[in-house]
Amino acid sequence: MTPALPKRISVNAFDMSCIMHQSPGLWARPEDQSVRYKDLRYWTELAQLLERGKFDSLFIADVLGIYDTYQGSGDASIRRAMQIPVHDPVVPVSAMAAVTEKLGFGITVSATYEQPYALARRFGTLDHLTGGRIGWNIVTSYLDGAARNLGMERQMSHDERYELAAEVVDVCYQLWEGSWEEDAVLEDRDAQIYADPEKVHEIGHHGRFFDVPGVGLVEPSPQRTPVIWQAGTSPAGRAFAARNAEAIFTVAPTTATLRGYVDDLRRIAGESGRDPGSIKIFTEICTVVAPTDAEAKARYEDYLSWTDYEGALAFYAGVTGIDLSQLDPHQPLEYVDTDSARFALEIFSKADPDRDWTPSEVARFVGIGAMGPVLVGSPQTVADELERWMDEADIDGFNLAYAVTPGTFADFIDLVVPELQRRGRYWQDYDEGTTLRERLYGPGNRRVREDHPAARHRRAIHRSATDVAAAAATA
Amino acid sequence: MPRPIRLNAFDMNCVAHQSPGLWRHPQDRAWDYRKLSYWTDLAQLLERGRFDGLFIADVLGIYDVYGGGRDATVRHATQVPVNDPAMLISAMAAVTEGLGFGLTASISFEHPYPFARRMSTLDHLTDGRVGWNVVTSYLDSGARNLGEVAQLTHDNRYDVADEYLEVCYKLWEGSWEDEAVVRDRAAGVFTDPSKVHGIGHEGEFFKVPGIHLCEPSPQRSPVIYQAGASARGRQFAAEHAEAIFTAAPTKEILKETVGDIRRRMREVGRDPYDARIYNLLTAITDETREKAWAKHDDLERYGDDEAALTLFSGWMGVDLAEYDLDDPIGEVESNAIHSAVAAFQQADPDGGEWTVRDIARWGVIGGLGPRVVGSPAEVADHMQEWIDYSDVDGFNLAYAITPGTFIDVVEHLIPELQRRGVAPTEYPPGTLREKLFGAGPRLPESHPGASYRRLAEPLTTGAAA
Repeated sequence: MTPALPKRISVNAFDMSCIMHQSPGLWARPEDQSVRYKDLRYWTELAQLLERGKFDSLFIADVLGIYDTYQGSGDASIRRAMQIPVHDPVVPVSAMAAVTEKLGFGITVSATYEQPYALARRFGTLDHLTGGRIGWNIVTSYLDGAARNLGMERQMSHDERYELAAEVVDVCYQLWEGSWEEDAVLEDRDAQIYADPEKVHEIGHHGRFFDVPGVGLVEPSPQRTPVIWQAGTSPAGRAFAARNAEAIFTVAPTTATLRGYVDDLRRIAGESGRDPGSIKIFTEICTVVAPTDAEAKARYEDYLSWTDYEGALAFYAGVTGIDLSQLDPHQPLEYVDTDSARFALEIFSKADPDRDWTPSEVARFVGIGAMGPVLVGSPQTVADELERWMDEADIDGFNLAYAVTPGTFADFIDLVVPELQRRGRYWQDYDEGTTLRERLYGPGNRRVREDHPAARHRRAIHRSATDVAAAAATA
Repeated sequence: MPRPIRLNAFDMNCVAHQSPGLWRHPQDRAWDYRKLSYWTDLAQLLERGRFDGLFIADVLGIYDVYGGGRDATVRHATQVPVNDPAMLISAMAAVTEGLGFGLTASISFEHPYPFARRMSTLDHLTDGRVGWNVVTSYLDSGARNLGEVAQLTHDNRYDVADEYLEVCYKLWEGSWEDEAVVRDRAAGVFTDPSKVHGIGHEGEFFKVPGIHLCEPSPQRSPVIYQAGASARGRQFAAEHAEAIFTAAPTKEILKETVGDIRRRMREVGRDPYDARIYNLLTAITDETREKAWAKHDDLERYGDDEAALTLFSGWMGVDLAEYDLDDPIGEVESNAIHSAVAAFQQADPDGGEWTVRDIARWGVIGGLGPRVVGSPAEVADHMQEWIDYSDVDGFNLAYAITPGTFIDVVEHLIPELQRRGVAPTEYPPGTLREKLFGAGPRLPESHPGASYRRLAEPLTTGAAA
């Protein structure tokens, strides 16, 4: 039996249209460029750098609100620029697409606040303009502050958010896949026909949250449906992800924890009729790499001296709901008798059971690469670790968060990529696929797979079965 | 010193914008709207011609009046397919430095909170070169697909619009003080939270307690554009707009329109010249008069009557498919059509009554706007005559074919205007607002948006609100 070829390691860069993304405090380092988030050239330069490193895509996170759990206020987040200010991530995509040819773009948009009719048009437009290099990371927003500003008294319940998201996504699938037939656009100058109206269909959607009777406004784009990303971890989230996601973005403290999640998700996907292997799983990591282990360690220590206690705990509080602001920074969490301290300890003990977890240690951990692991070392050491995560956890690649931008990405590209290439785990160049979906499924696979729920809305050429039946009945 | 002529280019993220049928012309690139290179090439061309801006129209819906359905519209690509215009701008901004971008967005598309963030993002990434064309109307076919906000808008569109703008102004002007962002690397402090304020908006249609998510951008509020033609629309424009688009068919009607807008602006306490007014125009030009007319006649051959009628039926709410092409316009029951046609008939040397076919023929180049054909000198004379007569500031130039029509303007007309000293050879420095008015990057004090700069006490950050 020939041993299977080792799986290619796919890497996406993980960024956000804000200053302090996953490494609270490090914006203040002189070489960090995150303060240029409002300069279009930051984005075009970053895209070109990532394409030089043959990254699969740039993945851009988003929140439509601020972290305001810490001390019961948003002040700490605002002071530390902890994901606030935060820009709309879709806006710079076309500029980045214009200066690249192969890099994909995974853009986060909440399904909680959007009209699917307008949203489907936005992604359809981006799929055209990028030549099929767009992905949609579907989130169901969790910030109460965002809900209040959008006219809801509070966030909907968790399960209700997923029900709403399911309908938003389903309407989008119908508009992308089911409205315009493959050969609807004729561009026939002589016959004066741009599109054949018989091949453009009303979707006739009448659901619990939305009525969308009309036709899609966008003609078929290279991928039609953008690559669907998701990051759900709760039971409802997992079910949603297992049904819809083509790529999963997750974060886990150990390969064992991650493996449990991966196996569970693939099992649920299999049960719902999808090929479990068709769900590509990416985990968040941050790397601090230098020519030698010692240099990398020194750099990591230097980074740690810049991490920002308040910013880190404000972020941590915002995403977990656990406010450690009342505790002494050096008080071990195991001696604190509150629910939030116990819960925090439980999370971090998994990451490192031997450490004495205090609020200060939590801030140090979160301070670089947020909740994800940080791989520190020479290119060989980091490559060893990446291979270990790939193989032990059965994942497909990584979302690389930065400690400093674009420095972390540049170091990875200059030092780690060549090492992985030598080991045959990273491609020498992009293959002939031009769309983002081909990054996942190989050249030629531009459209959603047959076992994906969006494919259900595809129409037979010319007529649907009901039309044929109706015609037969009247004949 | 002759008065300057201001120019905008008028386009839409679709195949057939204002020239029904002309997508079939061998030189037309309109169907490349799906490709970024079409837009980046166009932006660079317009910048070479020192246009004020590229104005991008939009509808989120489909024209379905003609023939009682949408089939003819789809067949002729009459503004459908239609892609999202906001997605185009960053790519064009990256290859230009002086060109402005007027983006159309209807208040019925989405909630003002995420919308305000998108516009601020655009203002940052374009270095302050963005404008928002505020649309309060909608297509019924679109509204049916858009749910609650669209329904709200349907019933009280100008009330909703007033409040929508109020929310946006509060977010753009009132949430972050100028000194809020300190970027103190040594102290690790990026923003002073005491200078960032929740807007505490509680209105009839929207509740937005929190802070704006973006730090102050070069212009804060984008340049506000408007194109409303009804009396209420004009009033809205007089209150808010800094650039106004009109579509008067004759210079007499234009004079009346411009006079009315400026009078209304004065009445609401604004300087009547704090809005630049651009009238729709399609200019067909070439080196000589003969070449220009030959070009015009060639273009006109590609026009499609039915395609034109899909557009006009949609605009006017009258199904023109119910009439014979040779029926006199007088038989069409629509006041909107009569007032438009009366003007064209006036200008028609034959003086005979127009038929449905005549209006379709007129509309295949530049929709229902006026058109001018001639040598660069003739077109320049025409423009100057209209400006002197009507007090309009300039023209919103539609294309017959794209980018061909714009190339002709940039290569033939602009040099003529520059020779006459009425078109700039370089952009003035600064943001779009500075380029338009020569003052600062922010809204002038007399603009209603400026009143939200110091929001009433008490203020709290979004968290506590």
